[in-house]
Amino acid sequence: MLKKVLLLAVAVLFGSQAGLAMAANPDTGPGCGLGKLAWSDYKGQKEIAPQVLMVTTNGTGMNTFAISSGTSGCTNDGKIMSEHKTTMFASLNFDALTAEMAQGQGEHLASLATLMGVPAERHAEFFAMTQERYTSLVQAGETSPVALVKSLNNAIAGHPVLAQASVR
Amino acid sequence: MLVPILVFAVTLCVFAIADAQLSDSENYLVQLIEQAQEKRLAELREWHLLLHYRKNLFGGYESEQDDPGFFLSPKGKADPAAELAATLAQFFSADLVGRSKQPAQCAFIARYHWLKEQLRFDPARLPPMACERFDRWYEDFDVQSISLIFPSAFLNNPASMFGHTLFRVDQKGQTEQTRILAYTINYAAEVPPDAGLAYPLLGIFGSYKGYFSTIPYYLKVREYRDIENRDIWEYRLRLTEFQLQRLLMHAWELGGNAYFDYFFFKENCSYHILALLDYADPTLHLTDEFIGWTVPADTIRLVVSKPGLVSDITYRPSRSTVIRRKRQALPAAERDLAHRMTQDIGVLSSSAFAQLGSAKQAFLLDLASDYLRYRVETTDDPKPEWKVRNRELLATRSQLRFPSEEFPVRPFAKQPELGHKTSRASIGGGWRNNDTFEEVTFRGGYHDLLDPEVGYTPDAQIEMASVTVRHYNRADQTRVERATLLNLLSLSPIDSVFHAPSWKLNVGMNTIRHHDCQLCSNGFFNGGIGGAKELRLLNREVLFAFAETEASVSKAYDEMHRIGGGGTVGILADMTERWKIMATGSYLKFPLGDKSDDFRWYVGSRFTLAQNWAVRLEYNHRDRDNDVLFSVQAYF
Repeated sequence: MLKKVLLLAVAVLFGSQAGLAMAANPDTGPGCGLGKLAWSDYKGQKEIAPQVLMVTTNGTGMNTFAISSGTSGCTNDGKIMSEHKTTMFASLNFDALTAEMAQGQGEHLASLATLMGVPAERHAEFFAMTQERYTSLVQAGETSPVALVKSLNNAIAGHPVLAQASVR
Repeated sequence: MLVPILVFAVTLCVFAIADAQLSDSENYLVQLIEQAQEKRLAELREWHLLLHYRKNLFGGYESEQDDPGFFLSPKGKADPAAELAATLAQFFSADLVGRSKQPAQCAFIARYHWLKEQLRFDPARLPPMACERFDRWYEDFDVQSISLIFPSAFLNNPASMFGHTLFRVDQKGQTEQTRILAYTINYAAEVPPDAGLAYPLLGIFGSYKGYFSTIPYYLKVREYRDIENRDIWEYRLRLTEFQLQRLLMHAWELGGNAYFDYFFFKENCSYHILALLDYADPTLHLTDEFIGWTVPADTIRLVVSKPGLVSDITYRPSRSTVIRRKRQALPAAERDLAHRMTQDIGVLSSSAFAQLGSAKQAFLLDLASDYLRYRVETTDDPKPEWKVRNRELLATRSQLRFPSEEFPVRPFAKQPELGHKTSRASIGGGWRNNDTFEEVTFRGGYHDLLDPEVGYTPDAQIEMASVTVRHYNRADQTRVERATLLNLLSLSPIDSVFHAPSWKLNVGMNTIRHHDCQLCSNGFFNGGIGGAKELRLLNREVLFAFAETEASVSKAYDEMHRIGGGGTVGILADMTERWKIMATGSYLKFPLGDKSDDFRWYVGSRFTLAQNWAVRLEYNHRDRDNDVLFSVQAYF
């Protein structure tokens, strides 16, 4: 079994290399590598697990989230550039977000709302809105995280309470 | 003719001014170095913490840090005073240093601030430089406090067998709902993608480099909670604003300029995380406590033991824990209904589902969705229909227009600091065949199935570096009775939802009676795979069965060896909170080497006296060989 465990670890590591090659999938994510990488998964091309592991546990992730002399894709000295924060979050947590939109609550959804400038006391309305528009939001999300965030922004703008309360 | 002369004169002037400036700087530098010597700064604990110096065997110093760019003096790795002088000199220069390519004042900003404070730098003679990169990085944390995060042990990945620790930088205004947005400070080995089977071995002997990074917490949660299904414990630390600043400044120096040779057992994630905390508050003396090895759970225990350091503890259940607890909360019929929903979406239009109240419908839909996501993330090659079905379940769920109720989840294992310590010593005595004996055992780590289970991953065993010396009274012989290099065992109870196999691996030696040899050393390798089933007859029982293979070497055997296989069945049962028993029976047949077979059985019973004390009574039978042992065990 240990051998299987080790082989699995190897598979994850090799898998991540394959993941890198798959990243050349245009127009599926924000304008930086990481989001694209994870996003390509939702087309059913590649499982996300190894990719997230790659991001977090081996070299690639370290460059992305490390202090380095240059910028790498969507990060700068290991920090996600502010213009990418929302799309990157939406992209890397799409699965959790879809579940929580349907369930009308959850920490990923609350965090997305916060990133989009919805104040905490209006989160309940935001949750109810995403639950109501679940189908169309997921459809948008399946094309790209940018489209999901755009749909959400439009929905906020058209919402009597949220439009007033939101910072953006 | 006039022009060149003018140019020459101007150039001369410039040189003269530059020279004057240089010598002023030089003067001030000399002055600072003298002051530092007077104040013996290079001998102070804080300087040693900043440079990660440790006293070596010969009384000198050596830094644990391994990137040459981290030192500003070529002798810096072993000479704290030379490094201090070189650091002061470099503070006058805007040249870019270190891996992160910044002026020294910014690249080594914690050193700069500490020395500035100690020597009261004159801003006119040593002007402070702007560090925009650091400022941006620091402000982006929006730091309110620091949490120490402990994802519990995960046996199915050699790198996570003992758990992991990292920091989360909690943001101002962060709520329980938004803490996943915080950044972490994580230390991990950089493992090349082609590491393969060499990975665990090279990891032990320091062949990889470890780096710091600031991975968003939501990615770490995804990794641990959703993919590896490890419960997470979060310990909010009480640090002052000044200490938070020091911690982050030092993290910036390390993240941008340092690496450490990664040693799996000692200089690992937990060790370097503690080093950051040591610099934040040098009175803590955390890393000093770890000499041979650093077990993550022990570091948690130490941090929690410091009065007032931990302000609150939060539990974040893994997805599999949530699923198990939700299933426990349901009557069998509804549990079954939720499970059928994951296999056939048609169940949603059945009368059994329709007649439920909408809150219960939502609960079952959420559970079914949890389970499908669990399958997708834990299966090597997930079926596409799982995702499709999950979307359909969620679409149905979204029609029930109310938020899911909060479901409080109780952990299966308590937090790690409540568990026994990780090394163990025992003394015992008993009978073997027609002789009596006394014995002592030392075990380096970590936990076996009969050890007190509080705070440890349930049903998982990792024993390492254990040796037993026994004295036989009648034979008047003292010998190494047993030794364990590695003894791993993972039981994963199977039910309709969870199907992971159980497995075991044991490499070591014991003392056997075979043919004419009464007490013979026997080296063995045993590995097996099987399944386990959880029952709740009395309290909690786990039944298990393994198919296994074994190879042994001993002079007691014909041809010195035997190789074969067989099976084991057993039960592990919690009788009360303090009393646990285990019983196993095995049959093995050895067709290769010494052609023989073995029937073995074992009964063990443990009683917990206190967090770090237990007693055991064990009976071991092997083919004409009976051994009864009573022992007292202390964990330290």
